[in-house]
Amino acid sequence: MGIPIHPPRFDSDLLRPFYEGLAAGELRLTADSETGQWAWYPPEMMPGRPAATLVWRRASDEGTVYSFTRVERSLLPGDHRAEVPFTVVLFEPDDAPGCRVPGLFVAGDDVSAACGMRVRLSPVQAGDHVVAGFAPIG
Amino acid sequence: MQAGRIAITGVGETPFVRARPKSLLEMTVEASLGAIADAGLKPADIDGFVVNRNSHSADEIGFALGIDRRPFSAITDTVGGTGPTGSALTLAHLAIEAGLCRHVLVPYGFQATRPGGPYGFHSREPLKADLEMPVGYFGQPSYFATMANRYAYEHGLSEEELASVSIPFRKWAELTPSAQKREPMDLAGYRKSPMISAPFRVADCCLMTDAGAAYVVSAADVARDAPHPVVAVEGLGLGTTRWPHAMMFTQAPSIFDFPGRESAAAAFAMAGVGAGDLDLAQIYDGFSISALVQAEQLGLCGEGEGGRFFHSGAAMPGGRMPVNTSGGHMSGGYLPGITLLIEGVRQLRGGRGAAQVPDARLCAVTGLGGNSHATTILARH
Repeated sequence: MGIPIHPPRFDSDLLRPFYEGLAAGELRLTADSETGQWAWYPPEMMPGRPAATLVWRRASDEGTVYSFTRVERSLLPGDHRAEVPFTVVLFEPDDAPGCRVPGLFVAGDDVSAACGMRVRLSPVQAGDHVVAGFAPIG
Repeated sequence: MQAGRIAITGVGETPFVRARPKSLLEMTVEASLGAIADAGLKPADIDGFVVNRNSHSADEIGFALGIDRRPFSAITDTVGGTGPTGSALTLAHLAIEAGLCRHVLVPYGFQATRPGGPYGFHSREPLKADLEMPVGYFGQPSYFATMANRYAYEHGLSEEELASVSIPFRKWAELTPSAQKREPMDLAGYRKSPMISAPFRVADCCLMTDAGAAYVVSAADVARDAPHPVVAVEGLGLGTTRWPHAMMFTQAPSIFDFPGRESAAAAFAMAGVGAGDLDLAQIYDGFSISALVQAEQLGLCGEGEGGRFFHSGAAMPGGRMPVNTSGGHMSGGYLPGITLLIEGVRQLRGGRGAAQVPDARLCAVTGLGGNSHATTILARH
């Protein structure tokens, strides 16, 4: 498995808590401070409720693969030919159904990702930063 | 809006090539001059513009065309195939019916080979830059491949069925001298196509094209004086979702449920016809999965039956429902939506030579813009 190297851009600090969580081995997502409901990806404003704010909460490490793709030609800006193939999964935590977190599929070359597969958070060191990764359970 | 009140009186395109050493403005103006001449008009006859937010503005194009007056100009706020088809036609319809103008030019230019290419639009999104690009989830082939894998999980989709979407479009391109990719491709050829983002091979993706295209919209009664048979706009429908582009590929409840049913229902209701009345269809084929799903949403087959529809050969030359008869975006050339609309007009006029669908009188054209969708029903009067 290859590992794409493309650090987060951080135009703002909005997503820094997500990466601080990964570095601590936790999956942290955003929720509505008033209703407690998950709000993911973090919107700049809560739909229909401009006064609401976001809080970060820990989500379940375990969940299922909503979908996936095995990337054989990376379209990231720059030359990433040495970093393929890798598989991206869209992960749904057990306690945040419908919230999908993109991450690398962490498994041996003989294991393929599949929709509905049970996986667990397994952060991946990508150069000098840590990104989301998910490994099959069992 | 009422059916049959406006017509597409002129169409024009530049050659479709991967990289062309001409500016976006030059290609847009070249296509516009072609469309104006095709309508039997002169540039000074154009008194309305509907441009796209990703292309040049009406004042830049108008100046280049030598047009002094511009009583009506507007810009579409949808992307992809929705903007230059359904959105532009809706604005043109409103302006002509209101008496603001007589002949509306819809110009479009596209340079896939410009720096950043078709992916730059996505890389500018902060959420993608922070959450998706760091794990390599980037570029339309990956987004739509993820849709294809989810679709396969929910409905079933074999490799042969997926291949059977792109193969008929190539067959139509073989019959179309202006198509960008014309070498024959069967299942064995499809399997030799390099994998980009599984299950998508190069053959499952639209082409990279530098080109211009344009069309002229006129009141239907004025169109009777134009050089070609009248091709009227019978139905227009637009569909949208609540999801912004930064979220729709991952967070929509179903990532492949485009708002195509909504747009088709509105267009068919306006036209007073149904999918069973169509003679042919031009379906926005950014990727094989998007054409497959839109064929279902247009009503050419039932939900979950798109793979079997294409595998049956229905979309092929001589099939019961020809689709993308100039090769679509995957073999013909990729100028989002507008070239499909132009092909619909040409088929209904007749004279498409080896690619002509016999007695074509009613054609649907779809355009996908991610979180927006347009269905247009064209008819020969």
